[in-house]
Amino acid sequence: MKKLYKALALVFALAICMTACSQAPVSDDSKTSAPQNSTASDLDYIKDKGEMIVGITEYEPMNYLDDKGEWTGFDTEFAQMVAEKLGVTAKFIVIDWDGKIMELDSKAIDCVWNGMTLTDEVKNGMSCTDPYVVNAQVLVMPADKIDNYKSVEDLKDLTFVAESGSAGEAAIQDAGYSCTAVTTQADCLLEVSSGAADACVIDNTMANAMTGEGTSYADLKPGLALTSEDYGIGFRKGSDVTVEVNKIIKELKADGSLQELADKYQLTLAE
Amino acid sequence: MFWTVTLSLLEGFGVTAKIFALTLLFALPIGLIMSFGSMSKFKPLKWLVKIFVWIIRGTPLMLQLIVIYYGPGLIGAWAAKLSYTNALISWIGTWGVPERFFAVMVAFIINYSCYFSEIYRGGIESMSRGQYEAGQVLGFTKIQVFFKIILIQVIKKILPAMSNEIITLVKDTSLARIIAVYEIIWAAQVFIKRDGLIWPLIYTGAFYLVFCGLLTLLFGFFERKLDYYKG
Repeated sequence: MKKLYKALALVFALAICMTACSQAPVSDDSKTSAPQNSTASDLDYIKDKGEMIVGITEYEPMNYLDDKGEWTGFDTEFAQMVAEKLGVTAKFIVIDWDGKIMELDSKAIDCVWNGMTLTDEVKNGMSCTDPYVVNAQVLVMPADKIDNYKSVEDLKDLTFVAESGSAGEAAIQDAGYSCTAVTTQADCLLEVSSGAADACVIDNTMANAMTGEGTSYADLKPGLALTSEDYGIGFRKGSDVTVEVNKIIKELKADGSLQELADKYQLTLAE
Repeated sequence: MFWTVTLSLLEGFGVTAKIFALTLLFALPIGLIMSFGSMSKFKPLKWLVKIFVWIIRGTPLMLQLIVIYYGPGLIGAWAAKLSYTNALISWIGTWGVPERFFAVMVAFIINYSCYFSEIYRGGIESMSRGQYEAGQVLGFTKIQVFFKIILIQVIKKILPAMSNEIITLVKDTSLARIIAVYEIIWAAQVFIKRDGLIWPLIYTGAFYLVFCGLLTLLFGFFERKLDYYKG
């Protein structure tokens, strides 16, 4: 028993030492870091760093690698234009899309800019810009069947898959049907081509790029558009960069440079 | 296309192999040290180690990866927003996310050290008391007895359990993709997302199989080497 008391006393002594030691250096740098923390805006934070880290996934025509292995695409060029106006450089990092809000909040990245559909869920989790491009959610089915489905009522006997939390999932639910959620849009196509589901609902741009000749989904074809949607850029919740970027987008629209970019990648700008 | 995929997967596999090798390099000795902690006669240390092992073995490695990578940045951002401040809080406010690969290594080393420590403990505790006594009678110190007599036999005993855990580690490396460390599964998923090709993902299985096959041969070789009693 005596031994135990001795041991406990030692532990407490150690604990006290450690807290005392760890606090000493802390108070030194607090003078310099405290004012920064209280006043630092997200815009200043990014400008101080000199670079804006853009979280993306590889996805044509928004962000993809060219022959030289450099990032290109509509969103890539757009982000570089905006970064230039902010006086910083854009750095692209491929992230796990499911972790995007954690990536933002932990400052691992500064924004997500990757053809992101502005859903309520997205708007709740981050600070979003005004829409810059419009897109549609389309039905994808085996090519020999797709032409039989011309309206939402025609779909009532089908089984659906969609990406979990995606605009496609919302479109199916809004139409009054249920669907199985999978982790990526690409998985949706796998489900349909393997016959696990009759149809999936994914982005128009994605559907065009991933189906047809030269892909593993040569037998699939996009058809009926269920809903149209807006693309926006997401910054950290409460960030002051959003307002600034909205202003820059307006400028780029006004001088025609954004329209030029949209024409290059065959996209439709938002009003 | 096959060649492009193979090269890209090999690049991903390089990261996989790096995670594997570095984890072993650090977790094997740290596990041994932790096993001493869990067998310590000093009760607070013993319970501290036991509780730590319970937490690490009791939660998914995927969750540990997320906490270790995003945790500091999230806590930092939270602390920076607090209206109340003191020296400690403002210091925490400067925390940011660590390097992705570094976070993976920390998570894997901690996780595997805990599993290894329990295997070591089982091995060491299975040795009979008589061997320590015999060693002391022959004039060895406690430390000499452990390293020259006990540890050698422990290694032989725990080898099958260790090889099991090490082969599991090969496949656990695929969890690194959760925090965007581009290992082989990530490399294969790029082809699904970009080109609509499914087969590269299935193809990764061949890389894992070959690697685990080599490890199995290696462990078989060690087991035969250590099987000195049967000649």
